[in-house]
Amino acid sequence: MNAHQGMGRVTEDELHAYVDGQLDGNRRLAVERWLVEDPEASRRAEDYRAQAMLLHEMFDTVLREPPSDRVQELSDRLKGRIAFNDNRPAWHARPLVRFAAAVMLVVAGAAGGWMGRGVDQQAGTPVAQQRQTLATFAQEATQAHRFYTSDERFQVELGADNQDELNGWLSKRMGRDVFGPDLGRVGYRLIGGRSLPTDLGAGAQYMYANDANKRITLFVGAPQSGNQSNFSFTQNGDVATFYWVEGPLAYALAGRLSKEELLEIAKAVYQDVKAGPPRREAPPEPQQQQQQPQQQQQDHPAGVQPISDTQKAKES
Amino acid sequence: MSKFGVDLEVHIASLRRYARALLRNSADAEDLVQEALTRAVARADSFQAGTNLRAWLFTILHNVHVNQVRSKAARPQEVDVDDVESKLVSPARQEERVELREMMRAVDELPEEQRKVLLLVALEGLKYDEVADMLGVPIGTVMSRLSRAREAVRAKLANEGGVTLRRVK
Repeated sequence: MNAHQGMGRVTEDELHAYVDGQLDGNRRLAVERWLVEDPEASRRAEDYRAQAMLLHEMFDTVLREPPSDRVQELSDRLKGRIAFNDNRPAWHARPLVRFAAAVMLVVAGAAGGWMGRGVDQQAGTPVAQQRQTLATFAQEATQAHRFYTSDERFQVELGADNQDELNGWLSKRMGRDVFGPDLGRVGYRLIGGRSLPTDLGAGAQYMYANDANKRITLFVGAPQSGNQSNFSFTQNGDVATFYWVEGPLAYALAGRLSKEELLEIAKAVYQDVKAGPPRREAPPEPQQQQQQPQQQQQDHPAGVQPISDTQKAKES
Repeated sequence: MSKFGVDLEVHIASLRRYARALLRNSADAEDLVQEALTRAVARADSFQAGTNLRAWLFTILHNVHVNQVRSKAARPQEVDVDDVESKLVSPARQEERVELREMMRAVDELPEEQRKVLLLVALEGLKYDEVADMLGVPIGTVMSRLSRAREAVRAKLANEGGVTLRRVK
């Protein structure tokens, strides 16, 4: 094993905690430094992640199977018994919500169980609330990126061979019109997408690859209140994420890229989204954006205060 | 807006997944969850508001499982042929892929104490200290079981030739 300068020796336990997302920021850096120096440790970390993915592939099907009547009945009774101060709205009882809640585990479980954080935090102003919601959304996007790019076999649910079909399917799942923007001019082509549950309801993940087979993902969600927001940035391990709200949708672009590289792509996404979905009929002329992103975008992203990715509320 | 109802649904779905992964038989798994929920309902008053609901539910499930195993061991029963068959016929469709089949086998071959820790951490995303509380062992024990489980699975998958888990940048 190599020496790990500067930040103290990395322990075996810390390698596991790193894989399981149970390590704080400082130690995470130390582990990442170690992984760069030690290919064997790096392979182990990747293999451990792959094991987790295989486990999810094997058993997440259970989440889609309806529980037995008896289990459902007991769940409802338990809910009644411990629903302290809980004035839950009626929509919680709808089967669709149940289904969404179950499927949420696909992402949350994979991400090391961070779900639930941020939910109980008292947010003050609506703006703060939106910031909080968006930060959670960005975190989901980052985790989903990590999860679905870690192995080529799991990348997409539906390929991009037929983009109309892909966009139509995801729009239907989300209940809003979404489409995978054309990122050809920044060197990325659409591979496909998948539907994923988010804190904001059903979301869509589009995956892109460049010629070097580098993957980026664009996560699209539907926030309750779509207040326009500037680009925010968060870095989680080696995954960088830009996120923002445009129109009725929230976007998070994630990749293992430098902030600057990713920003260029985020601008391209922003441009293409503004320009609107590809249509068979010619798009209305005035909607067409100039292809040069410099003017309107360059100033604000760099100046935006990144929303921290360290909002770690304790669970108990 | 409280998300309690949704949270509870999520936790219960999580319990069902864990039970299935542990027992590998959907009827047994659903029975285990049912028994655990029955107990949870009976003890709902002992749940402290604001504490970790998921950990509470998993602990109950774990205790029920330990008791079930114990009472089965105490009275050896005749084995129903249907039971055996349903255990052998594991979810076929997902196992079409070689790596899934190998993973399934590798996990099944783990000692149960290691298998539990691996499933709780890697599949259910429980925190190490939650797992330690739940199993009633020191956290160091959790870590060593986890480490041994992961290395054992890794060695088995590596031995299977074709199953190299590719990394993608």
